[in-house]
Amino acid sequence: MKLDGTNTLAAPVDTVWKMINDPDALRRCTPGLKELKEIGPDSYEATLNIGIAAVKGTYSGTLKITDKQAPRHYKIALEGTGGAGFMRGEGIVDLEAQGDQTVLRWSGDIQIGGLIAGVGQRMLGGVGKMLIGQFFKCLEQSLEASGETGGV
Amino acid sequence: MSTRYLGARVRRNEDPVLLKGRGLFVDDVRLPGMAHAAVLRSPHAHARIRRIDTRRARAARGVLAVYVHADLGALGRPLPKLIPHPALVHHKTQYALAADTVRYVGEAVAFVVAESRYRAEDALDRIDVEYEPLPPVATLEGAVAADAPLVHEDIGTNICAHYTQRVGSVEDAFAGAPHRFRERFVIDRGASCPMETRGVVAAWDPQAGQLAVWDSTQAPIPIRNGLAAMFGLAEQDVRVVAPDVGGGFGPKVMMFYPEEVLVPFAAMRVGRPVKWIEDRREHFVATNHEREQIHDAEVAVDAAGRILGVRTEFLYDSGAYIPYGLIVPIVAGTTLPGPYRIPNYHCEFRAVFTNKTTVSPYRGAGRPHGVFVMERLLDRVARELGLDRVEVRRRNLIQPDEFPYDVGLIYQDNAPLRYDSGNYPACMERALELIGYAGWPARQRAWRAEGRFAGLGVACYVEGTGIGPYEGSRITVEPSGRVFVATGVGTQGQGHLTSFAQIAADALGVAPRDVSVQTGDTAVFGWGTGTFASRAATVAGNAVAAAARAVREKAQRVAATLLEAPAEEIELDGGKLYVRGVPGRAVSLGEVAAAANPLRFAMPAEWEGPGLEAIRYFAPSQGAFSSGVHACVVEVDAETGMLTFHQYVVVHDCGRVINPMIVEGQIQGGVAQGLGGAFWEKLAYDGAAQPLSTTFMDYLLPTATDVPALEIAHIETRSPLNPLGVKGAGEAGVIPVAALVAQAVEDALEPFGVRITEAPLSPNRLRQLIAEARRIP
Repeated sequence: MKLDGTNTLAAPVDTVWKMINDPDALRRCTPGLKELKEIGPDSYEATLNIGIAAVKGTYSGTLKITDKQAPRHYKIALEGTGGAGFMRGEGIVDLEAQGDQTVLRWSGDIQIGGLIAGVGQRMLGGVGKMLIGQFFKCLEQSLEASGETGGV
Repeated sequence: MSTRYLGARVRRNEDPVLLKGRGLFVDDVRLPGMAHAAVLRSPHAHARIRRIDTRRARAARGVLAVYVHADLGALGRPLPKLIPHPALVHHKTQYALAADTVRYVGEAVAFVVAESRYRAEDALDRIDVEYEPLPPVATLEGAVAADAPLVHEDIGTNICAHYTQRVGSVEDAFAGAPHRFRERFVIDRGASCPMETRGVVAAWDPQAGQLAVWDSTQAPIPIRNGLAAMFGLAEQDVRVVAPDVGGGFGPKVMMFYPEEVLVPFAAMRVGRPVKWIEDRREHFVATNHEREQIHDAEVAVDAAGRILGVRTEFLYDSGAYIPYGLIVPIVAGTTLPGPYRIPNYHCEFRAVFTNKTTVSPYRGAGRPHGVFVMERLLDRVARELGLDRVEVRRRNLIQPDEFPYDVGLIYQDNAPLRYDSGNYPACMERALELIGYAGWPARQRAWRAEGRFAGLGVACYVEGTGIGPYEGSRITVEPSGRVFVATGVGTQGQGHLTSFAQIAADALGVAPRDVSVQTGDTAVFGWGTGTFASRAATVAGNAVAAAARAVREKAQRVAATLLEAPAEEIELDGGKLYVRGVPGRAVSLGEVAAAANPLRFAMPAEWEGPGLEAIRYFAPSQGAFSSGVHACVVEVDAETGMLTFHQYVVVHDCGRVINPMIVEGQIQGGVAQGLGGAFWEKLAYDGAAQPLSTTFMDYLLPTATDVPALEIAHIETRSPLNPLGVKGAGEAGVIPVAALVAQAVEDALEPFGVRITEAPLSPNRLRQLIAEARRIP
C-alpha cells in the first residue's frame, strides 16, 4: 500500500528538522506509540498500539532512521509484529524551505500481513492517512506550543 | 417388493430433531474436565521459522500445554498422503505443526491447550516467533515463471505433476479443420463456507486404552483408521464420531487436517478431554480452498459447427501442499467433454504449488471448470459461425442409442470414463420448453425496447457420480419392530436418514419413520470410505437395498416357521407378516424379530443364525453418469453491474429418483453455491500472497434474496450399473452455473460486445467489462 502527502509547517526548516529527529516529539506524536526506547543512534525499539478496522493490536518492533541529509531528507523504516499480524513500513521525508515555512513531503509503502491484512486491508489506506494526519497535526501543535514557529 | 416409498416425496426423518435445535454438532459435545485449544497460525505466506519461544505462553494463567513441532515426537512427520497418483511426482503434505518453514498464511505453527478458549487465545499472543520472510509465490502463473521462488526448495520446481490424457489425434483434427478458436479461461479461488466450521473433540481413557474423537468430518472411518495407525492403537480402540455435520461440501473429507491429529495428541498428553472449534476467520485460511485454474483451450469445428477436436492445457493451483492428489484436475479434464461427441481430445495439466492455502475438492471438484471451458468454447463457435447456440449443441450431443458411450479417458476412480446411460437431447428439449427458448428473440427485443438488458443462457453437463470402491450397511430389526440401518456413509445435510429409510421401508413393509438410520459413528459401522463424489445414494443406497432384501428373506423364513407356510408365500406389509391372501392371521415384524432370537430349544437350521439382521456391501465397477441442462434468463443492470434472475430452469437426470424433494433440495443448494462461484465469491490475495477476503464482509456469499426460485424437472434414465438404477445428484446444481451465467450475461450485453472468459464475476468486474467494451468502438 503506497501513500504520500505534503504538509506545510509554520516553522523554519531547521526547527522542523530538529523536531522530526527528536525522540520526545516522535514519542508524543506517533499515534498509538506506547514505548520508544533508543537502542543506538537513530535506532529505536518501539511498541505500537493500533487499530485497523475491527482489529486492535499491539506491535513491537524497531524504528530506524537512515539516509540522513540534514536538514532536508531522511528515510524511516518501521517494522512490528504482534498477535494481529505484522506490519512493515518504509517512508521518505523531504523538507523544503518556503519563506519562514517548511514544506514537508512524505511518501511511504506499508505492508501488512496476517489477521490485519485479512480483515483490514480495505481500511488500510484510510487508516494510514488518518494516522499520518494525526502525526503532523501533533507536530504542528508542538511547534506552536514551543513558540518556535516562524514569522510570529 | 412394493415401491411405495421409493420415488415419493417423503418428509425428512432428520428434520424434527434439527428444527427443534436438538441436533448434536461437535461444539455441542461437552465433557467433564474438558480443556480448550487454539492454534497459532502463520501471518506470513512464506517464511523460515528462526526461533519459537513459548515460555511466556506456558507461564500464562490457565494454560495447560503449548506444543510446537519439536514436541510432537513420532507425530512430527509429514501428514499422510491421501490419494497418490503415478503422475504426482512431488506428493508434498504439511506437518501437523510447521517444522522450519511456513508456506501459507494460516499454516499451524503452535497449539495451545488451556482452561478456556479465552485463555488459549490470549496465550497465542505470548508465543514469540521470529520469522525470516521468504519471497512468496502469489499467483499461478508466477509459480511457473522462470525465476519463480520455490514453495518447496528441496524439489527444485513448483510443478508437482504434469499429466496428459488423449483421445484420437488433435494434431490431425486441428490441421485439417476449417475453423479453430482459441481462448484463455481464468477461474479464481473460492471457499466452501459450510454453516458449521470444522471442529474436533477428543477424550482419552487411559485405563481402557481407548480414544474417542468427535470430528466434523465427511470421513470418520478413514480418520479412525489413520489415528489408530499414528497413535499405535488397535482400530477397535479408536472411536470416531461425525455427529450432525453442518455442511461438508468436500473440504471436510480431507484426512488429515493438523487439528485432527493435534487434538487427540493433546488429550492424551494433558490427560483431559480437549476441544477445538475453528472460528470463521480461521476457516478462510485453514480449511482447504478450491477452484483456481487457468485453461488455454482451443476447439476445431467443421463448417456446420460439428466438433472435430478440443484441446486444453491448464494450470491447477494446489496451494502449498497437495495431500488430496490430482483428483480435482483429473475431474476437470474428464468432465470437459460433457454430453458432446469429441472424436479428438487432448487434455494436459500442470499441478503447481503456490504459497496459498491447500486445495482439495469442493462441491463440483473440477466439474464446473471443465463445463465452463467446453460451454464457453461452443458459445464462441456459435458466434463465429453465426449459428444458434442451441443448434450447435444439438448437432454435437451424444444420442440415446449410443450408450454405453466410451469417452476414451480414465476417470478419477481409475476406471474408463464410460457413460452408462442417459438421454441428453431429452434433457435439452425439456429445458428449452420450460425456459421458452422459441419465443426468446421476441422477448429480448421487448426488453431492449425498454432499454433493459436481458440475456438467456443454456448450459449442459455430465456429472460423474457413484464411484467405488465400496460401501456397506447392516440392517437389524429389534423386537420393538423398529428397523435400524447402519452405514459408514455419514450425512452433512443430504437427507441420508430419509433416503436410506425409504429403501429399507419398501423392502421390509414398514414406514420410513419406523426406520432409524445410523451413520457417522465408527462404533456403529466400521467399514466404508466417506461421503464424497455424489456417491452415497448409489453406493451405500444399493448396499442398504441388498441388506434389506436379505433381512426380508430372513423374516419370511422365520415367519414361515411361525405361520406354518412356505417362505415364498409370506407377505410383508404395514409392519406385519402374513400368508398371501390371509392378512387376518398375521404376526408383527417385532414378533418375528423376537422369535428369531430364541432363549431355549433348537433353532431351525434354515434360519442360518439368530436375529433379523444382515450386512451387505456394494462395490460398483465404475461410476454412474448423471446429466442435466440449466437454462436461465438474467437481467443485467449496465450501470451497477448487478444481476437479476427472472427465470432459472434445471432439467436433471440422476437415474431413478429416491426422493424428488431431497434431489430438488440438493439442486437448489448447489445452484446457490454455483451462483456464488459465478458471481459473488472470490478469495482475493494481494501480491505478497496475503489473503484479503477473510470475513463475510469481503467474501460475498449469495443470500436468500440473490438466489432465484428454481423450476426443476426430472428425467429418469436408470443406471444399468446398480440394482436400484440410481445415480448421484449431490453436485449437479453447482456444475454448469458459471458457464450458464457467462453465456446469459454475454447475451444480455450483446449490444456492448462484452466477452466473458473468467469466473467469478462480480458487480464491480462486470461494470469494468462493460466500460471497457464501451470504449472499444
